[in-house]
Amino acid sequence: MGDNAAVDDYQGLVEVADQGPEGLYEYFSERGWGDGLPLVAPTHERVEESLSHADGDPDEPVAILSPRDGVATRRAVAVNAVLAGCRPEYLPVVLTAVRALGHQQVNLRGVNATTHPVAPLSIVHGEVVDALGFNAGLGAFGPGTRANATVGRAVRLVLLHVAGARPGPGDASTQGQPSKYTYCVAENSAESPWEPYHRSVGVEAPSAVTVHCGENPHNFHDMESDRIERILDKAASAMATFGVNNACISGGEWFIGLCPEHAAVADGDGWGRADVAAYLFEHARRPASEFRAQFDRLAWADWMRAADDEALLPMTQEPGNIRVFVTGGPGKHSCVIPSWGMTRSVTLPVAG
Amino acid sequence: MATLIHRPDGPLADGAVQLSSTTPVLSGGRIGVLDNGKPNARLLLTRAAEGLAGRIGGHLATVTGKGAGANAATSCTSQVLETLSKEVELVLTGSAD
Repeated sequence: MGDNAAVDDYQGLVEVADQGPEGLYEYFSERGWGDGLPLVAPTHERVEESLSHADGDPDEPVAILSPRDGVATRRAVAVNAVLAGCRPEYLPVVLTAVRALGHQQVNLRGVNATTHPVAPLSIVHGEVVDALGFNAGLGAFGPGTRANATVGRAVRLVLLHVAGARPGPGDASTQGQPSKYTYCVAENSAESPWEPYHRSVGVEAPSAVTVHCGENPHNFHDMESDRIERILDKAASAMATFGVNNACISGGEWFIGLCPEHAAVADGDGWGRADVAAYLFEHARRPASEFRAQFDRLAWADWMRAADDEALLPMTQEPGNIRVFVTGGPGKHSCVIPSWGMTRSVTLPVAG
Repeated sequence: MATLIHRPDGPLADGAVQLSSTTPVLSGGRIGVLDNGKPNARLLLTRAAEGLAGRIGGHLATVTGKGAGANAATSCTSQVLETLSKEVELVLTGSAD
């Protein structure tokens, strides 16, 4: 069946001579499909089992994804979830992330067209974290947990296949980045002193997914401090760099992934999420003259353009662009995650 | 043993962008430049358009940006696209970094 098949009768079934892992691997590689890693065969039975965990019409579009203008139906997303190794019950989380990618404010065409290494980070919140076995603790961004690994990979496979974001014709990233293979983390609500992130942005649902299109996490550590200001000064120093797009695009967001021990220090000092953001807004700064010396073009808010050279300017135009969540396990390492810039995060309730 | 699997790419949206047919004769044609907002794009594309115009006996009819509020990372406004479609037969655009 060709690419131009109608949505409502699209099944896209093809016959593969060798259903073994090596045969499928070769079949996909020859067609420019896949991410370079071995895949699970998306047989009709597996796809149907995955779809049994979704609520609506399998052929209803969840999102239209650029640059290919591919229709991400529930079925197409389920196929890629199977390929990635997802358990069937993960499908609603993948669907929610894909649904978020289709929102105009994400600017997916730009995300895929840019030479920047940007990858969508899926942050999973709420009850679904424990229910599906996401790792929100030790090594939360790392390997070893099927839910994190395969949900992030499924999102990437949807981008490769449905959005057409193959390096070259559909993804112009100069170097790429490792998180283009898989990029999914869970919020550690059990060890967070604050309400779940999704509720802080007005999503009143038991579970949610946030998609933020940005760089890999940039680590900062503080092993010694018992005052949150001294910890956040390290975060501010990690943010105040000219190498990130946030330096020249003031509308870009930051995601701050605090480890539980750093978050506990903040809470002990009586700080909420907004206090952390406000502090970083005030302290992650460089003189306007240095920005102007580094960039010929600055996509800045008007008030920043009007600032004197001596003024200390922030790494984003408003504190609300600094978004804080808790993830990780024991230890004193946290991270800042810069944005590609011309994109906004989206948080949606988990829905099949 | 052969088996049936699902393609991973799914269908295309109705109205998905298709390439237009090639202009049959460019001779004497009107050429436009759409600055995509990348550094030096306007200079590079304008020079290329002027060179092409000289070769085909055409002329550079218009040089434009993507429209109000647009930048290198966002789409061209529909108004600019409509204007270009009326005013020129060929548009040069898409300089990279």
